[in-house]
Amino acid sequence: MRGPRCTVERLDQPSAYFNSRNKRRRFDKDQRDGDDDTNMQNDQPEEDPLKDAATLYVGNLSFYTTEEQVYELFSKCGEIKRLVMGLDRFTKTPCGFCFVEYYTHQDALDCMKYVGGTKLDERIIRTDLDPGFTEGRQYGRGKSGGQVRDEYREDFDEGRGGIGRALQARMRAGSRDRAGSRDYDEDYGRGK
Amino acid sequence: MADYDRRGSGGSSSYNPKKRRYRDDDDHDRRGPRRRYDAPPHVRIRKQLIAIAENPMRPWHEEVQAIVTLFTDNWDDELLRSNFVDLVLQLAVEQPLKTPFVAAVVLVANGNRPEAVDMLLAKLAGRIEETIGKGEWRDVKLYLKLLGCLQGCLEGEGVFPVLEELFERAVDLQTASSEDTIGTEIVKIILLTLPYVMASAPGQWAQKAADLMEKTEIIASEPHTLQTLIEPYQPGTGEDSPPQSQSLIGLLQTQLQNEANDGWALPCLPRPWEFPLGEVEQRSKLDDAAKHALPTINIPQTVVSGPRPLFPEIYFSVYANQDVESVPPVTNAAASLIRDALLDTINVLDFNRNITARHLIDLDCYFAPRTFAARATPFDRLRDIEPPKSTWKPEDVAVDAVFSQLLQLPNPEHKLIYYHSVLTEACKLAPAAIAPSLGRAIRFLYRSSPLMDLELTYRFMDWFSHHLSNFGFTWKWTEWVDDVYLPDVHPRKAFIAGALDKEIRLSFAQRIKNTLPDPYKEMITPEKEKDTPDFKFASDNAPFAAEGREIAGLLKRKASDEEIDAVIQRIQSQAIDREIDALVASTDVFVTCVLHVGSKSLSHVLAAIERSKDRLADAGAASDAARAQIISATMAYWSAHPGVALVIIEKLLNYSILTPETVINWALVSRAGNTRGEALAAAHVCEMVFNTVMKVTGRVRQLVVKPSSPASDADESETRDREIRAMRALFAAIEDALASWATGSKDEMIEASDSEGNNDGEKMVRRWGQRWLRVFRRRAAIEEAFLVEAEKERARRAEEQARSGEAGVEGGEARMDAD
Repeated sequence: MRGPRCTVERLDQPSAYFNSRNKRRRFDKDQRDGDDDTNMQNDQPEEDPLKDAATLYVGNLSFYTTEEQVYELFSKCGEIKRLVMGLDRFTKTPCGFCFVEYYTHQDALDCMKYVGGTKLDERIIRTDLDPGFTEGRQYGRGKSGGQVRDEYREDFDEGRGGIGRALQARMRAGSRDRAGSRDYDEDYGRGK
Repeated sequence: MADYDRRGSGGSSSYNPKKRRYRDDDDHDRRGPRRRYDAPPHVRIRKQLIAIAENPMRPWHEEVQAIVTLFTDNWDDELLRSNFVDLVLQLAVEQPLKTPFVAAVVLVANGNRPEAVDMLLAKLAGRIEETIGKGEWRDVKLYLKLLGCLQGCLEGEGVFPVLEELFERAVDLQTASSEDTIGTEIVKIILLTLPYVMASAPGQWAQKAADLMEKTEIIASEPHTLQTLIEPYQPGTGEDSPPQSQSLIGLLQTQLQNEANDGWALPCLPRPWEFPLGEVEQRSKLDDAAKHALPTINIPQTVVSGPRPLFPEIYFSVYANQDVESVPPVTNAAASLIRDALLDTINVLDFNRNITARHLIDLDCYFAPRTFAARATPFDRLRDIEPPKSTWKPEDVAVDAVFSQLLQLPNPEHKLIYYHSVLTEACKLAPAAIAPSLGRAIRFLYRSSPLMDLELTYRFMDWFSHHLSNFGFTWKWTEWVDDVYLPDVHPRKAFIAGALDKEIRLSFAQRIKNTLPDPYKEMITPEKEKDTPDFKFASDNAPFAAEGREIAGLLKRKASDEEIDAVIQRIQSQAIDREIDALVASTDVFVTCVLHVGSKSLSHVLAAIERSKDRLADAGAASDAARAQIISATMAYWSAHPGVALVIIEKLLNYSILTPETVINWALVSRAGNTRGEALAAAHVCEMVFNTVMKVTGRVRQLVVKPSSPASDADESETRDREIRAMRALFAAIEDALASWATGSKDEMIEASDSEGNNDGEKMVRRWGQRWLRVFRRRAAIEEAFLVEAEKERARRAEEQARSGEAGVEGGEARMDAD
């Protein structure tokens, strides 16, 4: 990739989330492919889907953070080509994530290094390289229409609608519900 | 048991299913707690070497000795041997603060395994040669620093011949051109290497060093012709003059002269290769260790400037002229040596700001003991420190280094936001230590901002607001409360207004208002607290109100062009009746309506612009006045939130609905004219012009460096020349507009001074004009320099191509002959 391993970790690498998803996919493929020798050959030309990525997933935004605020902060890494706010499926209001697309891969990497993990609207935000937004792409959103992480959250987060919506619903209904079928995996699920 | 042993020394421990089964069969669990897994030695040595000197509780010589023992005990491990050499070199360029410690490991290892040093020197010499060839001057410096630290184990004159030959190149370059910057850079590198050489081999090379410094003197002491361009302060005509800034190499030369007179004591440099007097055996082993010949390093006849444009450097400090020295004074070599090591650390480690911040906080670990006062000593307590104890505050030294980058002209190595993020992380790591230092830096910069280069004032403002946004927007605004009553055109008041606007952009008006003392609250008008601006056509008082509402309605329901056309015709004929510019009138109404329809968010307005871009482009193309009106309408509609207006204008430029000239004329001629020049004090006006200029220059740069293919060469060079001409014309237009503000010969200014005798205001406007002018003259000069370099590079590439082309043809002929 970039020569020898650095003596300190790089902040512009894709997150464990992206890697684990990819690895799993690759692993499945390897299993099907059969013996080790062919794997070695197949592994080499594998195209890194993020090698030119100019888009970032931005998470842990407050529901009240506006596009203008995102613009103001993220423009410090380069001109923004496109900004797509993640909206609640039903209410069409921001549900705490967005995609920022730059003109260049370098700007996106710089953003990983300099913006990810800093505050916007007084919340620590998260950035992750993303292969890019395509029209019609849907994101893993829970039953209530927002991100899955906001379904079962047990802490009270004022910026993200209080406690998890599923819990709220359960409290409203006053009925015991089992929280068994959690589906954390679909937090901003890709390509579904 | 055998199995475990194999695992201990077996190098890369890959997953072995057999081992598992064996363990399951054989019941080891009864032996109590699970046996600790020991990483293989090459992994341990990597870990230890990378973390060297990080633990302040561990004596250096012990740590060095431990690593050397691990290294020599496992000498047979080939992986370990080769990894060691590579890791030493990598650490030298990635974690430069640790270089002396890594060098100490090499020097001590030399006692047992001298061949390790030969392996290292061979590779190190190769790297130095390679990086000089490519013009990667920082890496050259960092490798030379490592080599300098190894002077003690080198044969003959060691590093000196390399430094001397490098100097020859510098002389050639400087004699050829007074604007040369490579020679300056080389002299800087030589001077910064020298102290490490002298510390590594004390008492031996004083004469050599004196000879070399006698030569560097001529280049180092002469102020560089480009220095005025990059001065951080812009002296005004007023009584208070800014601190005199000094060139980095000029300072270095005198500092090292002082050191030479003092027998090269260099008290700040760590000497981890020195063992305590009690360790007699180690000491004599070091003294008797083998000496090594330095492999030849070939330095090419012509050296290149490398991937980053070089500029002379200035030593900048936000803690100069305090009553107690909280940072090394500029007369002391420590100022340059510590700063240099910190800057390299900061700029090399941009890919992990957390580690950068860690190194800055821990900086006292990497210099000689007692170089600094205790960490987190409050500034007021420095006074109580008895000499000769140090009063240098490590936090101040660290913060100073980051600011010197943030405020470096023309540009620091990385995006400005990187330096913001380093300060943020440092503040998070050690808030009690760093925050007060930042506070004093902020006060200094605020006080001196009127005297600073305008670009730097805005960099400071941008950092300040961004920094506060990471820390709950808390600042002791009460300190500056008197300045709120100053006129808007006063630089300090303008700073406050600009900073508050930037804070609001990152947050929202109500939030920021709550962080401010009462007098400031008036600066945040009720309009700023509204979610969307008022639509001026909602009230019948505005001309064309009915038509405005009608167009807005049509836009909302995405009506056909014909329907909109009809209303626009009506506006235009009414305008003609009222004897005003018909096109300007209709453009104002239309643009205002588009903005109103898209007022909900940037996505909305961009979609609205996208839908009506043809009409906007036609209007803009029809007349200069109409094009300017697009900006006027946008700035008027979003007057409470200029940040939004600026994004919209940027997008309009991308659509070519606006041209860069429109923006410049609108800002510097009409807007500035209508406000008698006071608009020049508004941060967002400067931001708008600056962004526009950067867009134009960015595009030209892209075209200029694009490798041209022979097929489309003519086309490309035509586009390139056209864009370059356009850029120059733009700079000329800026120069024209600003020059008259700067000299006070603008009509509006003459009128103003005639009628009111408003002397102070006029003086301030003139000063704003001068500050603007300096910024854009510098930009123009930098772009011209870039073009010259790019032209050289193109010529070089063409020549190379021609040569390889010829070779190819000859080769072909030869083959034909053979047939």
